[in-house]
Amino acid sequence: MNKCSRRWGMLGLATLALFVTMVCGAQPKGYTLVKDLPAFRQAFTRESAKVETIESGFIQDKVLSALTETIQSRGSFWFKRANKVRIEYKTPFTYTLILNGDKMLLRDGEKKSQVNVRSNKLFQQVNRIMIDCVQGTILESKDFTSRVFEDKDNFLLELTPTSKSLREFFLIINLTIRKGDYVATAIEMNEPGGDKTTIQFTDQKLNKIISDAVFSL
Amino acid sequence: MRYFLYSALACVLFQCKSDYNALIPAAMDGSCASQRMPKLATSSLYQASIDVTGHHLSGLLVIKAMSDSTWRVVFTNEAGVTFVDLGLGLDGSFKVHHAIRQLNRKPVLTTLRKDFALMIGLPFQRAQLSQFATGDEVYFGARQKNESYYFITGKDCAYLHRMERGSDRKRVVSISLPGSAYPTPSQLVLQHHTFDMQIKLNRIERE
Repeated sequence: MNKCSRRWGMLGLATLALFVTMVCGAQPKGYTLVKDLPAFRQAFTRESAKVETIESGFIQDKVLSALTETIQSRGSFWFKRANKVRIEYKTPFTYTLILNGDKMLLRDGEKKSQVNVRSNKLFQQVNRIMIDCVQGTILESKDFTSRVFEDKDNFLLELTPTSKSLREFFLIINLTIRKGDYVATAIEMNEPGGDKTTIQFTDQKLNKIISDAVFSL
Repeated sequence: MRYFLYSALACVLFQCKSDYNALIPAAMDGSCASQRMPKLATSSLYQASIDVTGHHLSGLLVIKAMSDSTWRVVFTNEAGVTFVDLGLGLDGSFKVHHAIRQLNRKPVLTTLRKDFALMIGLPFQRAQLSQFATGDEVYFGARQKNESYYFITGKDCAYLHRMERGSDRKRVVSISLPGSAYPTPSQLVLQHHTFDMQIKLNRIERE
């Protein structure tokens, strides 16, 4: 992959970087710091291992702070262990991202672009983040420093990127994880410029059979 | 000497042909100019599809008039990550509020500034317009430094055909409107003529 391809690939990668974190889990207000972090880690890893597939709807709100504008979009999300992801925006625009192993497909209605994830370091980094999320080991990831909070119903993972490439896109990512099954129910992505994107997952179905055809490129 | 003459002749016949030498100055039709002058609605959301030198990029484009008379143009990817956030003034002022490293280069930002200004219709808002005629079309031009911005109508002034930016001789950028008209064009297609770049915008209607 040449330098230019890598540049454009990185832009698509930002989409993926946001969504790969969904599989493990978004927000601190009324939360307290988790005291027994080893116990949380152990439970998170154990329960995450039980999730083979996720099928879900989502509502995304992008807040442009300076413009006092919010763009709301809706779509569907599929995950299949170990490394298959499909994100499909349905309204008010259409856009599909499919990650299947080392390959990623981006389709925006008019055009399809396919990217080899192994072709650059940043793609590999995001791939690793995803695997850490799936395996419940994101708290051990060198890509983020993390703090864990909790309230009555949820845990909140506050992830701060350590690498320059991720820091350019994300200031802090907050993942809300439901107590009980340790499944992510929301993600809040805070950008360095002050804009914020929140994604709320709806109608989540765990471990339902999902055909590989959903992830075909 | 012979080669010089051949070169000069080739230049005259082909490469140096002006895109604007057929324009003939005409009396200003102020009514038509004010009726067809492009001026974008104060808040617009578009799905954007950008092709540059064989590479494709998509996302959302938010264009909004601010209370201080400036305009903000924000381009994000579909997942919400902001790639570029630019401020443009009626007086030609320009501010980069945010740009990711890949886009934070002077030639890229200058190109985007001029492209977005033409889409919004900024160069025409406070300019002393000149009118030209050619064939069946009427050009309304605004001069900025060594470039001209045009909006082009038919002789009957029935609708806005397109907009253009160019040097004295060469057309640099054109914007066509395959769908509905300003202030809320449903589609805008911006084509660069000096390098391989196209921006297609499809308006997103919000509830």
